[in-house]
Amino acid sequence: MSSFEIGLYSFPALLFLIFARVPIGLAMFATGFVGLSLIQGGPDIALAKMKGEVFTTFSSYSLSIIPMFLLMGHFATLGGMSQALFKAAEGWLGHRKGGVAMASVGACAGFGAICGSSLATAATMSRVALPEMRRYGYSGGFSTATLAAGGTLGILIPPSVVLVIYAILTEQNIAKLFVAAFIPGILAALGYVAVISIYVRVNPDTAGVRPRVPYGQRLMDLFAIWPVLIVFVAVVGGIYGGIFTPTEGAAVGALGTGIIAYFNGGLNKSALFESFEVTSKATAMIFFIVLGAAFYNGFLALSQVPQEIAAYVVEQGFSPWMVLAIILVFYLLLGCFMDSLSMILLTIPIFWPVMQELDFGMVSMAQLHAAKAQQALAAGVDIPADMLTSIKAALADGAELTREQIKSLDIRGVSKGVLNRVNDEQTAIWFGILVLIVVEVGLITPPVGMNLFVINSMDRQTPITETYKAVLYFVASDLLRVLLLVAFPIITLMFIPII
Amino acid sequence: MHRFFLSFSKVMALLGGLVLTILILLIVTSILGRTLNSLLHTGFAQMILGGTAQSLIDMGLGPVNGDYELVEAGIAFSIFAFLPLTQISGAHANVDIFTNGLSDRKQAILKAVIEILFAGVLVAIAVQLNQGMWDKMDRGQTTFLLQFPVWWAYGFSLIGAASAAIVGVYVAFARVMHVVTGTVTIIDEGADH
Repeated sequence: MSSFEIGLYSFPALLFLIFARVPIGLAMFATGFVGLSLIQGGPDIALAKMKGEVFTTFSSYSLSIIPMFLLMGHFATLGGMSQALFKAAEGWLGHRKGGVAMASVGACAGFGAICGSSLATAATMSRVALPEMRRYGYSGGFSTATLAAGGTLGILIPPSVVLVIYAILTEQNIAKLFVAAFIPGILAALGYVAVISIYVRVNPDTAGVRPRVPYGQRLMDLFAIWPVLIVFVAVVGGIYGGIFTPTEGAAVGALGTGIIAYFNGGLNKSALFESFEVTSKATAMIFFIVLGAAFYNGFLALSQVPQEIAAYVVEQGFSPWMVLAIILVFYLLLGCFMDSLSMILLTIPIFWPVMQELDFGMVSMAQLHAAKAQQALAAGVDIPADMLTSIKAALADGAELTREQIKSLDIRGVSKGVLNRVNDEQTAIWFGILVLIVVEVGLITPPVGMNLFVINSMDRQTPITETYKAVLYFVASDLLRVLLLVAFPIITLMFIPII
Repeated sequence: MHRFFLSFSKVMALLGGLVLTILILLIVTSILGRTLNSLLHTGFAQMILGGTAQSLIDMGLGPVNGDYELVEAGIAFSIFAFLPLTQISGAHANVDIFTNGLSDRKQAILKAVIEILFAGVLVAIAVQLNQGMWDKMDRGQTTFLLQFPVWWAYGFSLIGAASAAIVGVYVAFARVMHVVTGTVTIIDEGADH
């Protein structure tokens, strides 16, 4: 068997192991190990790889962000931030039709801004919001569906553990991905609020009425969420503003939420120990998948399969948009039974080389020239005065610069290579956000979406079929949003500078 | 016996958590030092504090030297130390919808087989890490900034890796006992993240 064949046959072998309930990280590790041994004609090299590679995978500065974000999310819960967020949102929205559900979505979005995981957000907010929805006569299925969907905001709104992994896999800038996720995250929250508003009009008996809260109280409740704002601005703002690295941001966030939790009386010794245990389990689980993926992907790269697949797709001349559509549908299906992180670690090393080969025309030469020209003008390049006015006019019109203008700005260095690099980055960011959304949709798609099970298990009186029925509205809004983001990449990329 | 291994795993998780906390404090200290250092370099600080600004800088007020290396060494220990609790709690992510239909006995056998494989991998990881540590020691490799021997970091991680291997073997043993005698000791949590 050639290395390529071994690589190809490893897919069904790996899927079989995963579907046979072998932990995903272990399945990838074992398949990678066996595959590598087959290619090398013996296990010696694979064993030698384990001498250093397990250690280097775990001793990663950029991945140390993950336990810190997990700890931060747990401290945020202990500090009562989920209650504060829900109370503030309920004050402003609760009295509307379906308002308590809208408040839950709002609070999920807020909690997502300080928590990087979707199930943690859904579970934390459920503890606060489910009893309130029950109290005001919201139907069981509608309530659980709202929270399952709202939970996905935890991962979409930065910080996000999955985006950290994606950034490392595709060698992209974490800060830029966080910023790119922001508008789609807000759109998701608004979409869910719209869904709730439609749902309660179609099914008027599913939601009761909650009395208005006086404005004074509302303002006080709103003021009470200041810790969330401070932590979010410090962490995400600090990372984006280049004040500190993502890992440093996570450390600041973990310490900040820890201090807040301590002063709110939520962090005593036993709570701290419990935080360590919860963080420990989630961290080791994630890192074992990362380790398995490192081994499996190392083997795959050696087998040349990802490169061959990418070359094949280009050779066939498929339309880039069709390839993208197939990939996204594949994620939707896979998301029905796999968690988002495993999916990304398993598939991005195969799909990303394909995406890199496809031209989505994210940035044209003219746009790149315009951006470089802006930069040059801002830096005060010496240009003849008559030329300056015409260049400014050309830039303002969004028209292409003439050859002379480019020459006088001294931006001839903008080559095809630079353009490709820029295109790669823009495509990577856009694709990453799309993948993030579709894998999350998988988590709330009946019949086996994982968020649905977790939330439903917290509300034993509600049959899961009720949750299924209600969540379809939210899935529809998600799919609509995916179409919107595919059609208009600018929504995702608006705050990502070309250069 | 189960209680012993569970407590042991929890102690390891707490140690990992403590190291993680120390790293967080170290990073924040480094950021503060760096910020203060650049503030003291500004003309304003020089004007207000005069010579004090320079002497504070001379005293070493600045980022923690080699913080990056310490984080890399420490985080590896934490993650290895987190493994035993994850192992004994059955908290690894898996896909169980295709196997839920199997009879209880078949599921128990399947879990025992998987856990034996897992234990084997964890033991192999610990053994190879030990090898790697000796390699580093022989070569006398040190880190770039702090110049501490790289094998120290390997050694600390080895404590965690060995614990994970021991707990992994115990979990496999308990799963096999479940098949043989029917006593359930390990309760799965499933993935929560």
